[in-house]
Amino acid sequence: MNAPVLQAAAVHKHYRIGKQEIPVLRGIDLSVQPGESVALLGASGAGKSTLLHVLGLLDPPTTGEVRYDGVPVHGLPIGERARLRHRHVGFVFQFYHLIPELTALQNVLLARMMAVSALGYWGQRKAAKAAAIAMLEQVGLGARLHHRPSELSGGERQRVAIARALLAEPRVILADEPTGNLDSHTAAGVVELMFGIQRDRGLALVLVTHDERLAQRCHRIVRLADGVVVS
Amino acid sequence: MIAAFSPFLAVRYLVTRRINLLGIAGVMFAVWAMLVVDAVFTGFVSGIRRDVRTSTTDLLVTDLPHDTGYERLREAIEADTGLVAATAPRLRHHGMLQRVRQPQRRVRTQGSSQVDFDHTENGFALLVGIDPVREEAVSGLRSWLVRGPEELAQRYPGDFWSSTVLDEPDLERRSQLRAKDEVEWAARRRSNLPAAKNVQQHRADMPGVLFGWQRIRRTGALPEAEPFDLLVAAVGSDNQLRSDSDRVQFAGCFATGHRMFDENAVLLPIETLRTLLGLDSFDPASVDLVTDIAVRVRRDTSASALVAGKQRLQRAVQALLPPGSPPCSVLDWEEQNLVFLSAVAHEQAMMQFVLFVVMLVAAFVIYATLHMMVVQKVKDIGIMAAIGGSPAGIGAVFLVGGFTVGAVGALLGIGAGLLSVQYLNPVNDWLFANFQVELFPRTLFDLREIPCDLEPSWIAKVGIGAVLLALVVAFVPSRKASRMNPVQALSHE
Repeated sequence: MNAPVLQAAAVHKHYRIGKQEIPVLRGIDLSVQPGESVALLGASGAGKSTLLHVLGLLDPPTTGEVRYDGVPVHGLPIGERARLRHRHVGFVFQFYHLIPELTALQNVLLARMMAVSALGYWGQRKAAKAAAIAMLEQVGLGARLHHRPSELSGGERQRVAIARALLAEPRVILADEPTGNLDSHTAAGVVELMFGIQRDRGLALVLVTHDERLAQRCHRIVRLADGVVVS
Repeated sequence: MIAAFSPFLAVRYLVTRRINLLGIAGVMFAVWAMLVVDAVFTGFVSGIRRDVRTSTTDLLVTDLPHDTGYERLREAIEADTGLVAATAPRLRHHGMLQRVRQPQRRVRTQGSSQVDFDHTENGFALLVGIDPVREEAVSGLRSWLVRGPEELAQRYPGDFWSSTVLDEPDLERRSQLRAKDEVEWAARRRSNLPAAKNVQQHRADMPGVLFGWQRIRRTGALPEAEPFDLLVAAVGSDNQLRSDSDRVQFAGCFATGHRMFDENAVLLPIETLRTLLGLDSFDPASVDLVTDIAVRVRRDTSASALVAGKQRLQRAVQALLPPGSPPCSVLDWEEQNLVFLSAVAHEQAMMQFVLFVVMLVAAFVIYATLHMMVVQKVKDIGIMAAIGGSPAGIGAVFLVGGFTVGAVGALLGIGAGLLSVQYLNPVNDWLFANFQVELFPRTLFDLREIPCDLEPSWIAKVGIGAVLLALVVAFVPSRKASRMNPVQALSHE
């Protein structure tokens, strides 16, 4: 059997506020196989988003291990973690997190600029632009390439965020309540898009949500309460 | 290696924030000011140094004891044939000059005695006794006499005739700077001084004096051989203060370019001055007194050879001075004007410091705008981190921003500086012609035009310095951005 594409082993995460240690994750074990979709379900404050950040190497665990393809990665140097994050995972956030000064196309292109030098990018800029346009067309935004986030609807913004997450061809999508800020109709469209791409590309998906119905669409549901996996 | 997203985002951030124009404008203004002001100052200083150089001999043997004679020292100095090309004696003293007036023009202040001294026209002078024949060989005396009337003619109306005393074939007359017989006769008649009945019987006998052109500015144009009374006071061998006077005639005007020298100095035959000081050249016991000896060195003398030669001359001269004499000095042209040149250099350094402060202000503007940008873009920093931006790459966004502001400002400043230097004089002329406004009042420094000397090395220093300074101040916000916690940044409101 292949190693899990993403794994958390006995992950603890504490935050220190003043002299007080606040435990947020308490011994989380989680394995995600390639092509598998996992929903993290739980009440607010259960530690879902923190776990997602730890899995995406945005936040190091206090103790425990994060492994990509079976290799511990949480202790790598910060620059190496950033490169690995770029190659291995793509984030989709509830509030889209697009850069307001950039157009939809530039926001997506940014994902291609993260791990190459300025000179290196110059040589591949046309190919990168073509790939970004193709990705935006795939998410249905072929006509909105040069619009800034402020000129796009919520659903369109989230599609841009999905396109950006996918452009670097990651193996895992980490989605933090991707429909939490959308009306139900728009949310349905975004969900369809996300699951369709995940299925077509064989990507692993870790989806943080409050929505039981959305969670049911995943292969597996992991419920968290007070920083512990309860089922 | 700079990640591709860093310059990309830096440029986007800059072009969407007009406040960055303030930083660019600040750097531009500072670079412009540093180039233009320093160009004028450098041109001014270069001109001063050039003028001081032409007014000064290669070497000057000075700080000699009170009663030093020239001949013995001359032999010792000229014996150094590898270094010395020529020497000339100089005797410095202070005196007073008074134009001889016609009796009916005399104005006497009520209640005063016989004093009728008009210090606005003439007055105290640094008398420099020279041997004109020898002096020509060590200094630019001949060219000074050409330049004097030229300087005056360019500024004032009047008959500023060129002196021909150095063209006098009779060495005796030349060494006395005497005027032609007929010229002196006419001057005596003009001033009601005793003169032969007709010009053919007259033999000129008044020694000549040469005025700096700055003195002529005060007296106005003087006719050839205009008589003056020269008064000298000195302490005699009996330790009593005694004075003596002689009647001299105006033999020409000089301009060395050294403003203070041209304003204060009056050149006269050294024998005339010695006689006034009580040293009769016909007295065998008399000393051929000098205070300094001017030396011209051979043209092929290297700087190191000059340094060694100075020490050699100092030892040779000192050996001839009475035992226990304080050490004499042998000064090159810069040492002769050390105080003046140091003051000018210090002034230039102070000016550069002030302009550097202007640059610092511009740098603080860059710092403030970049710091504000980091604060405003906290969420973007989290986004960059989430999609794989390394801390170094995130920091580089703001570092590149600072670099861009500095580089664009420096380039614009250099362009504006080059244009300003190119058109400074026409613009100054135009402003004066139309509005009677002068950016740089040329009359203040007796300049025919505003001197500008913009050195490429200075342009490079200022440009690179501006960019480096921008990078230094951008480092702090850049470091702040690179050390930001991405999770906290993403949740920043």
